[in-house]
Amino acid sequence: MSPLDRMKGLQLRTKFVIPISLLLILCVTLITGYLIKQQADGYRRELETSGETMIHIIALNAESGVLFESKYELDQLLATSIGFDAVTYAAIYNNEGKLLSEVGDWDESTLRIKKAMETADFGQTKELDYYIENEEGEEFFELNYPVVHRKEKISRENLGISAGLNNFTTSEYITEDIGTVRLVLSLHSVNLAINEAQNTAILLTLLLLIIMIVVLNMVVRFITKPVNLLVDITDQVSRGDLTQRVAIDQQDEIGHLANTFNKMIESLQQSRNEIEEYNHTLEEKIIERSIALEDAQSQLIQSEKMSAIGQLAAGVAHELNNPLGGILGYAQFALEKMNRSVEENGPDKEMVKYIRYLIDIETQARRCKNIVQNLLRFSRASHTTEMEPTDVNIVIQDTCTFIEHQLHMNQITLKLDLVENLPLLQANASQLQQVFTNLIINAMHASPPNSQILITSQFSPEVGEFAGAVELQFIDQGCGIPDELKNKIFEPFFTTKEVGKGTGLGLSVSYGIIKEHGGEVRIESTVGEGTTFIIIFPVQKAIAETDKTTKRLSTP
Amino acid sequence: MARILIIDDSAVIRELLQEYLTDNGHTVELATDGQIGIDKALEKDYDIIFCDIHMPRKNGYQVFSEVNTSKPGVNFIVTDSLPDHLAEMAQRDGAYTCLIKPFNLNEVKNTISAILNREKQHE
Repeated sequence: MSPLDRMKGLQLRTKFVIPISLLLILCVTLITGYLIKQQADGYRRELETSGETMIHIIALNAESGVLFESKYELDQLLATSIGFDAVTYAAIYNNEGKLLSEVGDWDESTLRIKKAMETADFGQTKELDYYIENEEGEEFFELNYPVVHRKEKISRENLGISAGLNNFTTSEYITEDIGTVRLVLSLHSVNLAINEAQNTAILLTLLLLIIMIVVLNMVVRFITKPVNLLVDITDQVSRGDLTQRVAIDQQDEIGHLANTFNKMIESLQQSRNEIEEYNHTLEEKIIERSIALEDAQSQLIQSEKMSAIGQLAAGVAHELNNPLGGILGYAQFALEKMNRSVEENGPDKEMVKYIRYLIDIETQARRCKNIVQNLLRFSRASHTTEMEPTDVNIVIQDTCTFIEHQLHMNQITLKLDLVENLPLLQANASQLQQVFTNLIINAMHASPPNSQILITSQFSPEVGEFAGAVELQFIDQGCGIPDELKNKIFEPFFTTKEVGKGTGLGLSVSYGIIKEHGGEVRIESTVGEGTTFIIIFPVQKAIAETDKTTKRLSTP
Repeated sequence: MARILIIDDSAVIRELLQEYLTDNGHTVELATDGQIGIDKALEKDYDIIFCDIHMPRKNGYQVFSEVNTSKPGVNFIVTDSLPDHLAEMAQRDGAYTCLIKPFNLNEVKNTISAILNREKQHE
């Protein structure tokens, strides 16, 4: 991993603080180093200058002492110089190199030259000045300067007019090196001063750096705090919590970002709510449609099944009619013959028995005849029914009158709840009466004593091309119909009654009649609570608009 | 007594009617389908024609129409499993009545008597 890559993984704050701190340290260090260097150079130059001044003075004053080799005078001279702190050693040599005078301790052997420099301005001869260091690491500055003897140049003109000094236009001097002054200055105090300055500078620099870094850190923290908050909220939002809002009250870019971010979350939440709501609605719609589809499908299956059964029944009925006609006819023919024979010849025991047999055959054949007729009626292969405007309420009332006695015998009360002024239906009253009778008798058989059968009628206004629909309900408190039987009860020959008690054709004939009237029949039932048969007849517009006079059915 | 033609594709009905009506003193002839029925009805004169509606080749209504066109006023009794539109059309066009199969012999007897009585009154 390169340092740059490593950098990428760091926190924003660290990313700011580390490079800026490093840059600060570098700059401050460079500046401080430069200043210390300048300071040190200044100190040294000062030392050099004062050393040079001093040696210059000594050399000027040493002229007579060297000339006369007066040790005393020279010692006096040097003793004044040694009063300066920096002066470690001073010596004066004559021209031949003989030591004339010296002060201070000096051990030549331990020294080494650090830096040689030329100081050329103080005379014709150039002596070298040196920075030197002894074995203990002490630094010194050694200066050498010539002692010059100045003599007046004696010329004839000069000698001739010695009395008139004011006539001198020029005077010439001859200079001559007569010795050397050597001065060694210790850099100890200079170095001490430099060190002190250096230490102070470093200390101040460090302090400054620390203050700067702390301030930098605070500034960066001030900037990154809202950013971190933003990051936290973003994190929570990304995990699906859209209720979070960024609480930053600033007028700067971060504040603007926070506001924009809040707006974004709001619109996100709104979108999500919309999507959720849409999903919910969609789900409900799917369920609704599925149920409707299932209903439609089961109704379709049911009506397909009924139609298939109808066709089968019609075929069977037609085929049965002729043989049945034969059985019935021959039985009647034989009966007629035998009755005549008995009339003519008197009663014969055997004959009477055969007559009884034939009556049985005839009765059963008649029963078969009825079954076949009902089958054909169910299959709607029957004759075209005569339809006329009919008030269903009156048909119900007539049916009830006719059946009331039977209900009373079974201790069942019948209640009617009929809506007045029902529109007239294009219907066959006697067929409807057959349907209602069948439904009431079935309800009676299913009901326990002391229970009630309720019949209601109501009108639902306009549906599509129809002027509306008449809805009839036959509600009993009987044993109910299990779900698995609900679709079967309209099938021909399906019965729950004991063998011989019902043919299983009543409801299938009713179904055929209702269909023939363009109606629908539906069952709602709970086992143990009761059953409701719902019949819906469409009202045709033309009929609905006609006068509501209808013939009253005669009670059978 | 009457001359009667029975047109029916069902053997048992043909034979039953033949035996019963003969026994009642009528003259009875048989036709096993519509076309034969038409041929016979046009060839001879009958007082009453029993004619089934659902038959092969020619149905009962066709038989009635053809015979009625050539010989108007023949007494037709159509028979049908249930009165459908063909039977209704025949009745509308002048057939005497429609007997629904399986019919009772009493009905047959009464219908024939009624027709004969009517004929007598006309005379």
